[in-house]
Amino acid sequence: MAEDPQTAPLLEIRDVSKMFGSVISLHEISTTVRAGQVTCVLGDNGAGKSTLIKILSGVHQPDHGRLFMDGRPIRLGSPRAALDAGIATVYQDLAMVPLMAVWRNFFLGSEPTKGWGPWRRFDGDEARRVTREEMLDMGIDIRDPEQPVGTLSGGERQSVAIARAVHFGARLLILDEPTSALGVKQAGVVLKYIVQARDRGLGVIFITHNPHHAYPVGDRFLLLKRGRSLGDFAKSEISVAELTRLMAGGAELEQLTHELERVGVEGES
Amino acid sequence: MSGIAVAGDERLARVGLFRRLLVKPELGSLIGAVVIFVLFASLSDVFRSKEGVANWLDPASTLGIMAVAVALLMIGGHFDLSAGVQVATAGITSGILTTYYGMNTWLALAVSLALVLGVGFLNGYLVMRTGLPSFIITLGMFLMLQGLNLGVTKLVTNTVQVNNFDKVSGYGALHAVLASTFTIAGTPFQIAILWWILVTIAGSYLLLKTRFGNWIFAVGGDRSASTNVGVPVRRTTITLFMLTSLAAWFIGNTQIVRLTSIQAQTGIGQELIYIVAAVIGGCLLTGGYGSAIGASLGALIFGMTSQGIVYAGWDADWFKFFLGAMLLLAVLANQFVRRYAETSRR
Amino acid sequence: MARMRAWTLAGALLPALALVACSSGNAVNKQTSTTAAGGSGKYGYKIAVVTHGAAGDAFWSIVKAGVQKGASDMGDNVSYESDGDPQKQAQLIDAAVNQKVDGLVVSMANPDALKGSIQRAISAGIPVITINSGQDKSKEFGALTHVGSNETLAGTAVGNQLKAAGVKNVVCVIHEAGNVALEQRCAAVKAALGGTTTNLQVDNNNLPAAGSTIKAKLQADKAVDGVVTLGGQVATVAAQAITDAGSPAKLATFDLNADVAKAVQSGKILFAVDQQPYLQGYLPVVMLTLYKANLNVLGGGQPVLTGPTLVTKDNAAQIEKLAAAGTR
Repeated sequence: MAEDPQTAPLLEIRDVSKMFGSVISLHEISTTVRAGQVTCVLGDNGAGKSTLIKILSGVHQPDHGRLFMDGRPIRLGSPRAALDAGIATVYQDLAMVPLMAVWRNFFLGSEPTKGWGPWRRFDGDEARRVTREEMLDMGIDIRDPEQPVGTLSGGERQSVAIARAVHFGARLLILDEPTSALGVKQAGVVLKYIVQARDRGLGVIFITHNPHHAYPVGDRFLLLKRGRSLGDFAKSEISVAELTRLMAGGAELEQLTHELERVGVEGES
Repeated sequence: MSGIAVAGDERLARVGLFRRLLVKPELGSLIGAVVIFVLFASLSDVFRSKEGVANWLDPASTLGIMAVAVALLMIGGHFDLSAGVQVATAGITSGILTTYYGMNTWLALAVSLALVLGVGFLNGYLVMRTGLPSFIITLGMFLMLQGLNLGVTKLVTNTVQVNNFDKVSGYGALHAVLASTFTIAGTPFQIAILWWILVTIAGSYLLLKTRFGNWIFAVGGDRSASTNVGVPVRRTTITLFMLTSLAAWFIGNTQIVRLTSIQAQTGIGQELIYIVAAVIGGCLLTGGYGSAIGASLGALIFGMTSQGIVYAGWDADWFKFFLGAMLLLAVLANQFVRRYAETSRR
Repeated sequence: MARMRAWTLAGALLPALALVACSSGNAVNKQTSTTAAGGSGKYGYKIAVVTHGAAGDAFWSIVKAGVQKGASDMGDNVSYESDGDPQKQAQLIDAAVNQKVDGLVVSMANPDALKGSIQRAISAGIPVITINSGQDKSKEFGALTHVGSNETLAGTAVGNQLKAAGVKNVVCVIHEAGNVALEQRCAAVKAALGGTTTNLQVDNNNLPAAGSTIKAKLQADKAVDGVVTLGGQVATVAAQAITDAGSPAKLATFDLNADVAKAVQSGKILFAVDQQPYLQGYLPVVMLTLYKANLNVLGGGQPVLTGPTLVTKDNAAQIEKLAAAGTR
């Protein structure tokens, strides 16, 4: 999908920095996300990805820099504030309670109610029905909405989390390493859900350390290394090989490859 | 997109009604209760007589009211070791304020309620604020209240008890509400049994049918996940501690009304029994799972066992051994049933 | 704004409420006379009292009251410590010896465990008086004398009294598992009664459940015609249990409190056996003071007995007031 420079991006991150004590976790990071597009945030461990997510989901506040939604400055003071702004975060641990049923998890924190006063109760029937429907919309038939979320497979759990975010009117979906703990086939399935969410008009921030997962679905790529930005590229501006090289630290990888060749191991060049 | 959607209906059929029932946390305790009943009923005909039933339902009811509150707290992921001594604090406060300081009975009850609710609030607040395990915080509170209960009682009364509560104004009404009996087929039953049933229903409704109940499961199951989706963790936790205190207030005043007096050392050791009843009822020690009905069944098992041993004529010196053995069996049976049910689900 | 108004209203109402609150006739337990009118003694001796009684125990609370009155009457500096664990009790005695007290009062539930510490005290020149239990070993350890009642004597008295009242089958209710003194009482009752005696275990910290247990026993065994309790607070619960079970059993108890005295008056409790714990606290303080000041020794080599005394319908009325004050 070609970028339309006329409308303001859904989310713009401008020169955001965050320090924890004397540790610089993020330094002047900038990128944008547009509705109906996927921006991938790439980086190895320790790059500052989780700090960035926490800032975008309202858990932390940036020390410097601003956030803009639809072109207007915005302050995300709490997870609730972020949710209200339409930013839904799917954490690595999925923010799901393993022992609770799927429908209970689906509506956790946003339970539908019926009745009023002391008779105000959690509308379980509605919750179960909606959960099943939303999951079907994503193309999954959860066998039994009563079963604890912990008994679902990794891919199924991701789908519940994404379906939840989509249902609650998220305009921007942030996915924290959704494919990292999954096998190849399951990861493929999750990537398909990401595309589905994108096609429904959401903006997606896809955080990962795997450029081969990121490249097929991404429209924009932000590379982080040790809290600093290595570049913010549109898809047309970079190839997957270049992405990998930048992430691994280009020159360092070449040197490592030469060393390995000398020892007698085939290196990838 | 149909990769996951394969064969949805065929898998649904397997998760039949039977398996669904087995997974319910209270089923294990129900089976345990039936087994214990059958055991003692076969050993003693008085146990299964109307008088016997009325007798063992009585300790089960007062234990059950506390067990439901403690179970809710445990599902929420916390322990309250001060629950037992709060019972004494509530009764002692009501007793001293009226019989030594002449306070109006209803006001004294209100003050006693405010006091234990304050203790509950403090427990919850400290747990949330410090991040220390609730086991430690409430253990400290337990020791402090134990000392206060005795110290204050001695200071005011010069003895270790507060008595003559039956002389206060309004005692008749209090007795009718908290300590009277109702008759079924000629046998008197304590009214606490009705209160117990009411509390169990209310507790179960709160847990399973309200938003707050959903939050209880969440906070106990995964605290950080709950925070991240916007569940009010602090408010939920403090409320749960205060609910335990509310139950303690009810039981403490029931006791002083029923016995017309209360000992300073009442309740010491009971806090562990509440936890045992909750665990028999299916509550996990780690939180996030359990049942109010199960906790009541756990209390029932405890009541039947402690009185059943007497009815069966077993040697008194071995009482604690039998009690412990019965409880272990009940918990293990519960565990076994649940494991079986869980594996069959996959 | 409305919130502020509500708070100010509450603030104005509260004093009025308090005024109304305290004007009812609820203060039935208010002490009108103080029993602690102090003596004018100026002896100033340092005495340590180390017992095995539990902190909240009704019986030992009265002992402590006696100790405190003795201290104020004599003008002595007296400390009261207790621990049910014999080893810890021995450590408390050692601590008192280190502080070079002028006198030591000890109760010996487990005499052998305390032997070493007591003899260290005596070698250090500290006179020792034993109270309550351990009467047999008192002289052997070198104590000045023993002040107390004999659990066996008391139990025998109870057994005899019940036998005279025609009781043949007794349930003896032990409210603290493993307590040596309580076991001795039941054993003595059994020996004196001649009929059947069975022990029953209940929890002192959960009296309503204790009542249910006693009621269960009476329902299960219709042959029981007597119940003996070993503490005043259990006696009142047992009286209710007997009524609820519709049992004709007679009730007797060791140790007193105001409710027991009242129940003896009304006939619900047949009699109570009292070993005057107040004396077990008061007398040793006085005796040690007089020994230090005047080398007086009471008893003539024999233990000074504080009981058993019987509380029956005849004297229950006067006893009740004293029990309410915590001295009997």
